Amino acid sequence: MQALRTAATGMAAQQLNVEVISNNIANMNTVGFKRQSAVFEDLLYQTYEAPGSQSSDSGNIVPTGVQIGAGVKAGSVYRITGQGTLTNTGNALDMAVNGPGYFQVLLPSGETAYTRAGNFSANDQGQIVTADGYLVQPTIALPANTTNITISQTGQVQATVGNATAPTVVGQMQLATFLNDAGLDAVGNNLFMESAGSGPATAGNPGNPGFGVVMQGYTEASNVDPVTEITNLIIAQRAYEMNSKVVTTADQMLSTAVSTKT
Amino acid sequence: MDNTVYVGLSRQMILERELDITSNNLANVDTTGFKFESMISNDDSVTMPTPGIAPAAVHFVADAGVARDFTQGSLVQTNAPLDVAVDGKGFFTINTAAGPRYTRDGRFKLDSGGRIVTQDGDPVDGGGDIVLDPTKGGVTIAPNGIISQQGQNVGKISVVTFDSLAALSKDGNNQYRNDSNLTPTPAANAQVRQGFLESSNVEPVRQITRLIEIERAYDAVANMMSSTQDLSDSAIQRLGAVNPS
Repeated sequence: MQALRTAATGMAAQQLNVEVISNNIANMNTVGFKRQSAVFEDLLYQTYEAPGSQSSDSGNIVPTGVQIGAGVKAGSVYRITGQGTLTNTGNALDMAVNGPGYFQVLLPSGETAYTRAGNFSANDQGQIVTADGYLVQPTIALPANTTNITISQTGQVQATVGNATAPTVVGQMQLATFLNDAGLDAVGNNLFMESAGSGPATAGNPGNPGFGVVMQGYTEASNVDPVTEITNLIIAQRAYEMNSKVVTTADQMLSTAVSTKT
Repeated sequence: MDNTVYVGLSRQMILERELDITSNNLANVDTTGFKFESMISNDDSVTMPTPGIAPAAVHFVADAGVARDFTQGSLVQTNAPLDVAVDGKGFFTINTAAGPRYTRDGRFKLDSGGRIVTQDGDPVDGGGDIVLDPTKGGVTIAPNGIISQQGQNVGKISVVTFDSLAALSKDGNNQYRNDSNLTPTPAANAQVRQGFLESSNVEPVRQITRLIEIERAYDAVANMMSSTQDLSDSAIQRLGAVNPS
C-alpha cells in the first residue's frame, strides 16, 4: 500500500518541522538570531489515467484523470529576516543595526562573513572584534588611553584620548546588504556567508539609502516570538499524529484483508 | 456467485486508492499552496452471459477521476518581500527547462543575476524574466502584480488562469503542468499579496473522517466477502453430505 509510505513522508516532514522550531526556541535569547521556517512541497505524482484519455471505445473522455501523489518533502528551510527588538546594554562597543544591513567580519580563513550580532569588544591591539575575536571590517583600531568612544548612527567612530577635550575620528563602520538576505548561508556562531541565493554583498555606510543605522550601546535581540513557536509546535505535533493515524488505518485494512480468508 | 467476490474486490481496490489519496492530503497538510484531492468513483456495469437465466448486469466499481478542490487556502503573513500569494483564481507561471509550469506557491528569491526565481532556481514569468536592481533596495509588489523599486516600475508578475482547471496535472514541487490544448489567459479576479504565503487547503478533520469511512467500508466489504464464502462452504457441506438432513 502506497498510503503507508506516503504517511511516512508526512511524519518525516513534521519531524523536520519540529527540529526547526526547536532550534528557534533554543535561540530565543541569541543576539541577532533570525527565526527559521520549514516549507514543504508535494512529491511526484503517479498517473494511473491521464486527463483526457479515453475511457471507452465510444470515445468517452476521462475529464480529470487519476493522479496519486507520493507524499511530501522539505522544500526549503528559510530565514525570516524581520528586525529583532533592540536591547540597551550600555556597553560602548555594542552595536545594533536598525534596518537592513549586516556587519562584516573577517574570518581567520580570509573569507568575509556577515552578522547582525553586534556584541563587539576591543582586542589587545585596540581593534574592534567580535565575541570570537574575529576582526570587524573595515578594521578600526582604538588608540591607547582611549577614555570615551562615540559611534554615530551613520557609523563614524570617534575616540577621546587621554585628557584631550575634542574626540578624534578613528574609523567608519560599514554595512553590507543583499538582494535576498533570506538566501544567506548560516555557518553558526551568528555568522552568515554569501551564497548564490543571496546575491553579492553591497557595502555602504550606515544611513545611506537602503542601509539601516547603527545604534551604539544596543544589541539586537532574537526575532523569535515564543507564542508563535509554541503554536507552530502544537500544529506540527498534531500533523504528525494525523499521519500516524493513516499508518494505523492502512495497517488495519491490511489486517482485514489478511483475515478475510479464515 | 463468484461475482460477489469480484465486485467486492473492485470496491476494495478503489478504497485502497482512496486511502492513498487521503494519506497524500494529510502528508501535505503544511504544504504551501497545496490543493486537496478526492476520488470520484463510478459504476462500471458489465453484462455477463449466464447460462440458464436471463443476463443481468453486474455493477463493478471503477475510478472515474481525481477531483481537485481549488478552494483558496488561508494566507499566512511572512513579511518576506519576495513571498507572494495569489488571492483568487490564478497561478504564477514558472519557465522551467521542461516548459511552463503553474504554481500557487510564491516563495520566490533572487538569483545571482537579480532575476526573480523559485526556490529551485527557475525564473518566474512576467512576460519574460523579471530582473531587479540589487543596488536599489526595497521591492514593492502591488495587488495587480506590478513590481516597483524606489517608485519605478520594473516589471509585472504574470498571474494566469484556465477555462477548466481540471485540465491541469500535478507535477510535484507544488507545480502544475498543462497537457491540454487550453491556453492560459490573464487572471481577471486574482490579486497578488506581497509578504504572504497561501497555506494548504487540507481540512484535517474532513480527512481524518474520510480515513474512518474508508476503513469501515473496507471492513464491510470484507464481511460481505466472508459471508459469501460461508454461503458456498455450507452449500458444499449440505449438498455433499452422504445423508442430507
